[in-house]
This record gives sequence, C-alpha cells and structure tokens, in this order.
Amino acid sequence: MQKSTIQFLLINCFLAIVLISCGSVSKNYTPKKLDKTSYTVPYFTDSKTDYVYKTNISVYGNELTGIFIAKKINDTTHRIVFTTEFGNKLMDFEISENDFKVNSIVSELDRKILINTLREDFRLLLKKEYLIQEQFENESADIYKSADGKRDNFIFISKKDQKLEKIVHASKTKEKFTLFFNSENDIFAEKIQIIHQNIKLKIELNYFKTE
Amino acid sequence: MQTKIYQFLFLILCSLNVSAQEQKMTAAEISQFKEDVNVVAKKIKTLSTDFVQYKHLDFLSKDIETSGKMVFKEPALLQWQYKKPYNYSITFKNGKILINDEGKKSAVDIGDSKIFARINKLIVGSVSGNMFDDKEFTISYFKLKGQNLAKFIPKDATLKKYIKQIELTFDKEEATVVQVKLLESSEDYTRIVLKNKVINAKIDDSVFTN
Repeated sequence: MQKSTIQFLLINCFLAIVLISCGSVSKNYTPKKLDKTSYTVPYFTDSKTDYVYKTNISVYGNELTGIFIAKKINDTTHRIVFTTEFGNKLMDFEISENDFKVNSIVSELDRKILINTLREDFRLLLKKEYLIQEQFENESADIYKSADGKRDNFIFISKKDQKLEKIVHASKTKEKFTLFFNSENDIFAEKIQIIHQNIKLKIELNYFKTE
Repeated sequence: MQTKIYQFLFLILCSLNVSAQEQKMTAAEISQFKEDVNVVAKKIKTLSTDFVQYKHLDFLSKDIETSGKMVFKEPALLQWQYKKPYNYSITFKNGKILINDEGKKSAVDIGDSKIFARINKLIVGSVSGNMFDDKEFTISYFKLKGQNLAKFIPKDATLKKYIKQIELTFDKEEATVVQVKLLESSEDYTRIVLKNKVINAKIDDSVFTN
C-alpha cells in the first residue's frame, strides 16, 4: 500500500530501460572432459517446505523490499508470491519450465517488461534439471554448459566443497544475468542474488526462519 | 438408544458451535459499542504496542510470522518496527515515509497522495479503533465471547483492490483493538495481534525517525 509510490518510481525506471548491448563474454575457461550429462539443482525441491525470503530488489538505484515466498505445488510447478513487509500481495505467479501464469499483480507493477524479466529470472531460479553438453573449469570451479533455447546456462560447482555456486545465463556472445547461491548444507540456499548484466537490476533474497 | 445418544451429543455440539460463533449486534448494541470505542479513542494521545503479524497464504504449510512494536502519536506520527526475524521499520511522518531496512535508510516523499492519506488514516484508525466512517466503509457489527467484532468493507474501488475487508476485534471491557485482520481479494489475509498496549505514555517526537 504505502509502497505504491516506490513501485511507481520503480516501474518508471523499468520503462525507461534502454537495453544497451556492449562488450562480449570472453570465456576464460579451460575445456575439460565431460564427467556427467545432467545436473540436478538441490534447492527449492521440497514440496513440504515454505521457502520464505526477505527480499531487496534494486532497480537503477531504487529499492523495493518485501517478502519472497516460493513453494513447490506439484511435480512441475512452483507458486511464487511477493508481498510487502505488511503482507500485501504484490505479485502472485505460477511457474514451471514451460508454463507461466499470473494469478495476480498490483496494477503499479503490471508491466510486460517487468513480468517477462522476472519470469526468466524465476524460471532459472527454480529450474531443477540441467542437461549438460560441455564441461570447463577454472581455478575454483567445475563449469557445466547447458543449452537453454538460443541461450546457454553455465553452472559453476565449487571444487572445494562441490556446492552450486552460481548459474550464468548467457547469449552466445554475452552474459545476461547470474544467480549466486550461498548454502550451508547444499540443500537449502540461505542467500541468493540475481544480478543482471545488461540492465541495472539486482534481486537479493535472504532466507528467514519464522519461529 | 445409541442413536439417540449420538443425536443428543450432536445437538450439544451444534449448540456449542453456535455460541462460539459471531452474533449480530442489535441497533442499540451497535450505538453503545461505537460510543464506548470513540470515548476511548478520543483519549488516545499516544499508543505503543507489541504486535505479532501472521501472513496467511492458502498454499503455505504455515503462516509467516513476524513481530515487533508499533508506536503512534497524535495527530499522525506512526511507526511500525519489525524486530523478528529481521529489523525493518517504516515511519509515517509529515507526508513522508521513512524506511530503515537492516540499517539501510531511505525516504519517500508521498506528498499529498490521496490513496496514501486514506491508507494512513486507515492504519491509525484500525489501531485506535476509531474508523466508523459510513462514507468510506460498509460496516457490520458482531458479538463474540468477551469481544466485539467490526467488519469494514471499503466502498472505494481503488482501496478495494488492495483490501477486500478489514476486521477489527475489540476487547469488550477496554474497548480497544486487540486484533486487526486484513483480507485480500483472494482468501489470503494478514492477521495482526496487538498486545502489551500502553496508552498515553510519554513518547518523544524523536522516536519517529529512521
């Protein structure tokens, strides 16, 4: 409610976004022999768990905060809800690999460019299974390349503790956005960052335990 | 014989159920209740209370619980301070919203936003209990055990988009609000339980900052 002004500012920023294409992704990774053909992400997979995170979304210097909730509602689909700290629902989506449904969205946020961006972000965040075509490595991680339509996802697994560190979503020439994960046990991600490279958009999720 | 016992038990259960339910107030009870609440609300210069907020979403296994402290000072200084499980405060002051999100401070000028003015009035009203405005809401009144309940349905279309209904539960003796329930357009709601309420303690203006 009280957020509507902030939202309005944010939307204007979203609308003002001009996609600047520049540079290219140089892959400084060393090719390596494939050691697996698929990778299963351990996060967001338990249908009994309510995944609840305090969220900061920063768009072109503007901040929007609230609570992000994800729940696996069947084998293929997650429900995603974003509310303010007061609890008012700002967006409510159902998302799977091939489907996307907007259950509700406040009119201030009901913009195609925003919805499409979040749809891509969340689809990747909740994606469970990756088929691997190529493998690389750098100093600290094994890197698995998985085709995603016309684009690719690069999955970074740390060499030190075999945890999923990040997923880079990239076109053939440049990185689009990156998901960073922090996890204690490799089952649950306590902290997640979604950082866009071509627009100034950053989403930070911090898990909180409700007592 | 056994059937009769079951029938009897069933009847008892039914009657128990009825007595636990909401009963509509009579016209006389409504005017008495409104008067009681208004007398108390008029005396409120400052108010501070602990609160526990339960966010209920149908698809979740359990409600999302957050808690903290709310402080109000006449005529329109208001602060919600969440302390668990995170530190977040939002202060309404002189046409501004001041936010402190885990130490990160920000301010938004809301100027004379009409919807904001209405929402601010609504928050203050729902905590003090003084929001019996027939122009803004369709109001219905009920009696519960030891409590009174008022249900407010917004008349304004814009407000209705955010809140389908507000339910205020009052302690019968003290005539103050003990629970605020905000129902959204779907069957999801936010329930805020107020406790340890302190009325008219000295509260400095400097509290209302981020």
